[in-house]
Amino acid sequence: MSTEDRYQRRWCWDRVTWGTHCVNCLATCPYRVFTLGDTVAFEEQGGTIEAVAEGVPDLNPLGCQKGSAWSVQLTSEDRVLHPLRRVGERGGGQWEQITWEEALTEVADAMLDTIDEDGVESIVFEESVEGGLLSQAPFLRLAGLLGAITLDANGLVNDLPTGQHITFGKFSCASTVDDTFRSELLLQWHSNPAYTSIPYHHFISEARYRGATVVAIAPDYNASAVSSDMFVPVRPGTDAALALSMCEVVLSEGLADLEFASTQTDLPLLVRTDTGRFLRERDIRSGGAEDHFFLWDEGNGIHDAPRATLRLEGLKPALRGRWPVQLADGSTVEVTTVLSLLEERLADYVPERAEELCGVAASTIRTLARMVAGHRCKILEGFNTPKYYHGDLMERSMCLLLGLTGNWGRPGTGIQGLALAGLDGYFLFPMKTKKGVEETARLLEGIEQAVETMRARDPEATDEMLGNQLLALSASSGTSAPPVFFNYHHAGYRETWNRAEWSDPTMKRTFDAYLSDAVRRGWWGGVARPGAATEPRVLFSVGTNPLRRARGGRAKLLSNLWPKLDKVVVVDFRMSTTALHADLILPSAMQYERVNVQYPITHTLRLSFSDAATPPRGESRTEWQIFSALAKRLSERAVERDLLEYVDGRRQTRHLDRLGDDFVVGGDFASEEVVLDEWVRDSADAGTLPVGSSVETLRRDGSIRFTGLGIFAPGLSVAADVSPTDVMTAFGWHVDKGLPFPTLTRRAQFYIDHPWFVEADEHLPRHKEPPRMGGDWPLLITSGHSRWSVHSMSMGNRPLLGTHRGRPLVVMSEQDAVECAVREGDQVRVVNDHGAFEAMARVTPRVRPGQLIVYNGFEPHMFPRWEGANEVEPGMVKWLHLVGKYGHLRYLPFGWQPVPADRAVFVRLERVEAV
Amino acid sequence: MFTYSLAGLEIKSAADGPEEVEENETTARSAVYQVLGAFFSAPDRDHFDRAGQGLWTKELTEAASLLPFPLEVGELTLASDVDPESYSAEYARLFGAGCSEALQIGAEDRDDVEAKLRREYEYFGLAVSTDRRAADDLCTECDFMQYLAFREAATGSDRLRASYRKAQRDFLERHLLSWVPDMVAAATALGPNAVYSWGLDRLDTFLRSDLDYVTAQLDG
Repeated sequence: MSTEDRYQRRWCWDRVTWGTHCVNCLATCPYRVFTLGDTVAFEEQGGTIEAVAEGVPDLNPLGCQKGSAWSVQLTSEDRVLHPLRRVGERGGGQWEQITWEEALTEVADAMLDTIDEDGVESIVFEESVEGGLLSQAPFLRLAGLLGAITLDANGLVNDLPTGQHITFGKFSCASTVDDTFRSELLLQWHSNPAYTSIPYHHFISEARYRGATVVAIAPDYNASAVSSDMFVPVRPGTDAALALSMCEVVLSEGLADLEFASTQTDLPLLVRTDTGRFLRERDIRSGGAEDHFFLWDEGNGIHDAPRATLRLEGLKPALRGRWPVQLADGSTVEVTTVLSLLEERLADYVPERAEELCGVAASTIRTLARMVAGHRCKILEGFNTPKYYHGDLMERSMCLLLGLTGNWGRPGTGIQGLALAGLDGYFLFPMKTKKGVEETARLLEGIEQAVETMRARDPEATDEMLGNQLLALSASSGTSAPPVFFNYHHAGYRETWNRAEWSDPTMKRTFDAYLSDAVRRGWWGGVARPGAATEPRVLFSVGTNPLRRARGGRAKLLSNLWPKLDKVVVVDFRMSTTALHADLILPSAMQYERVNVQYPITHTLRLSFSDAATPPRGESRTEWQIFSALAKRLSERAVERDLLEYVDGRRQTRHLDRLGDDFVVGGDFASEEVVLDEWVRDSADAGTLPVGSSVETLRRDGSIRFTGLGIFAPGLSVAADVSPTDVMTAFGWHVDKGLPFPTLTRRAQFYIDHPWFVEADEHLPRHKEPPRMGGDWPLLITSGHSRWSVHSMSMGNRPLLGTHRGRPLVVMSEQDAVECAVREGDQVRVVNDHGAFEAMARVTPRVRPGQLIVYNGFEPHMFPRWEGANEVEPGMVKWLHLVGKYGHLRYLPFGWQPVPADRAVFVRLERVEAV
Repeated sequence: MFTYSLAGLEIKSAADGPEEVEENETTARSAVYQVLGAFFSAPDRDHFDRAGQGLWTKELTEAASLLPFPLEVGELTLASDVDPESYSAEYARLFGAGCSEALQIGAEDRDDVEAKLRREYEYFGLAVSTDRRAADDLCTECDFMQYLAFREAATGSDRLRASYRKAQRDFLERHLLSWVPDMVAAATALGPNAVYSWGLDRLDTFLRSDLDYVTAQLDG
């Protein structure tokens, strides 16, 4: 065969299907997958998405180099193609191939032993955000039917913008990405979109061509700074000081949009100067409400703050001042406004003082502040902030800057955070007892009835608030549990979290004391599971990879959690580090080998489909096949063992003999394609997708634009209308319609008068230095996501490995390299009081002295001795995030909860001498 | 009182609500689909006799009496020289192997078209009768519309009523009206006899009017 023929053969195909990759990258890129026989030849970006609004660029082509090289991984060396059982020690690397029958029987027996001996809550599943909805739904379904524990995915991966939640009562509120184009000022702050947001990056360039100014605020001169108009180098972990200083300038120079702040935020609300608490109705009226607040009307004095609307309806709230107020007991106290207190605080952040804190010149701070105040500004935030110990303070400060300058709910404004959209059919599915529209209507009517009952109790609540209440109710009876309790009791984190020297110095008591206090007060009632007395025995990792991901490191889990486990079951398509330490590996089919959809996101407002372009390789199966077969096997073995029923942790009787049938609803849902079809049809029926949508329309078009946000909480938090012909700007309902925020005060809330926040002096945003996590060492790791892989998903992809050094790197400054006697390409050892790892040094002038960058995603097995970068991360959690039952500070699945920090870890570095 | 009568579909999952309802605008639409579905089934002796006795026009007139929009039923005269064999032969001449969506649109894979339709029917609690018609047969598709309209009339749930209406509009747009007008045009070009000329005209007119009506109901 000639070279020409060989080349042409490379690009031959006989079938084209749609595909997307369902990795946790917050993108939903439709690809054309070209198949020849049973082999995927190649894929290319679809580029078929219609323009939405006149004059606004379309989303096309959507995609990145990881997606464009996905097919290579179908045949990569790390694929798992057969069920495998460990032989010898865990992690010893010895496996035997077994049949599916053997594998499922072994897993079923381990689960039944556990249920029989210790209870079903000793069976723990890690929730996942990888793999698409049809990878996640099956094991969540099995866990739900069993009453087992599922560890909340966001508590594991920490994509939880806590500061946004504290401020807005929600955090998943991103506009569609084309809204970026309408910005006049884009702040790339704690984000590096040139690396991590490749499909959407063109909107930044297009906005710039349209006249927008693009600013990169980061400690290092990152890839996004290169194409920005302005680079603002900030000292790591001091972004709150920078933001607050900009707020100070905005207020002191009279640049604030005070009308916006008066209507949207809590700045006009009254606070008692004697207690530091909001003035509440119960303070001044006998039998008054705890969640009813006041403002000072310039015409009439004290006045109830409207609860049903943000509109002031004739009120002129005073923003500054002090007034006497008579309490219900006849005594008099002084009150002031949140803005008055805020301005006192901001005095600590005049630019010259802030320059000392954050390293940004005072003149630059002033310039930036004036730019923000004078333009439609959007903060392009990534998921870096949530991973700082004090990331909440940074975000609260950024949100304050936007709130003072009228920069949300209007075109081209806001802050990008998480971007979950609603797919009603997905949420309805676990409740369905039969297939079809009649059942859907029954469920939707039941939900509507429940919502109306709740509305009767609180007629001023919005749909969004009632959706949250509904979610809270379901959480208290569901399987999802914040991992903080599991990690504390069972995974060896208790000792770490009690190390005062690694915590914030304003933390007055031990972590133990705070945690037990929070539990004793019932702030985590029903979800602080499994408890201390319930030892885990079976752990399922389905497409998750805790030994790579867990802050705290592989060593901590292997030495604390693993010994307690009778069975570690990994369901994956590749040999991850966790798989290497499993007892059983069940091979799953990859995208292109099975039907799937990516989780829906508001960035694109599209549901994207991945078809089965080829049969699954080897003996791999879809998760629906695996878990429906496991449910069936559990039923069969339960009957054989005469273990027909048991009582779960919530005292509900479960019937094992029916489990197999219940899983597939008597055969109604025999395959994932039927399941997906039901989700899509139900979503169309509920109004979230176009009428007539089905798997077939997805199969034809590859991707469908949503027509609504759905009826469930995740979608509603965007609070914006979905139009087929317009860009969606988050918070439109708050700004245009005056709908209140789902916070305690029903306004964007910058003042948190919870006693723990007051004790920590965090009742208002402020700057705090990152605690010395890892010890008192001279260098600080900031980390970040890489360009070459979404987490570890593409770390085994040969073409992509060829686009970088193909091995873990420690990126460091030239000055530190000289000081540590390190040269480019040297192997270095990074050490602190928690652990150590080794990697190659990359010496560059773009990193500031004192800073190290270790890009996320490398598997521990790519490091010497399998000691990955997370070995130096203690995984500290901030104690204040244990607060619960304070208005919006309460647990909702995927929401408010303590999450571990991994940025700003202190280390030292030394060159590894060549052997 | 009115109830549905399905020929190509069967109930797989019984719906809530009564099996008989007072006749009204919606049951009239259901009834018209019932008559048209039966009319376009492959003709047998009974079909021929009904034509000869003027029962098709009578049934359609009765069915359409409460329709919310006008449908001119007109006259149907079976020529005296038509015998049962030539009657059946005319159907074969006009429609070949039958009135099928897949054949009309020239689908590469009829099984694929049928599988999509089966899934559609299943979502509404129906299954294709395995021993009778194909899922994409005109009669089966009319059966489906007949059933949806009946359930719309029978349900006490506003939400479900809206669901059935939306489903009807969607099915008309994506299925019946995506191929029946072409089928009607093709058959008309072949110079059908008076019976099928009558039927084709009524079918085409009714489907278009029904879509307008359902759309107005939803948008209103």
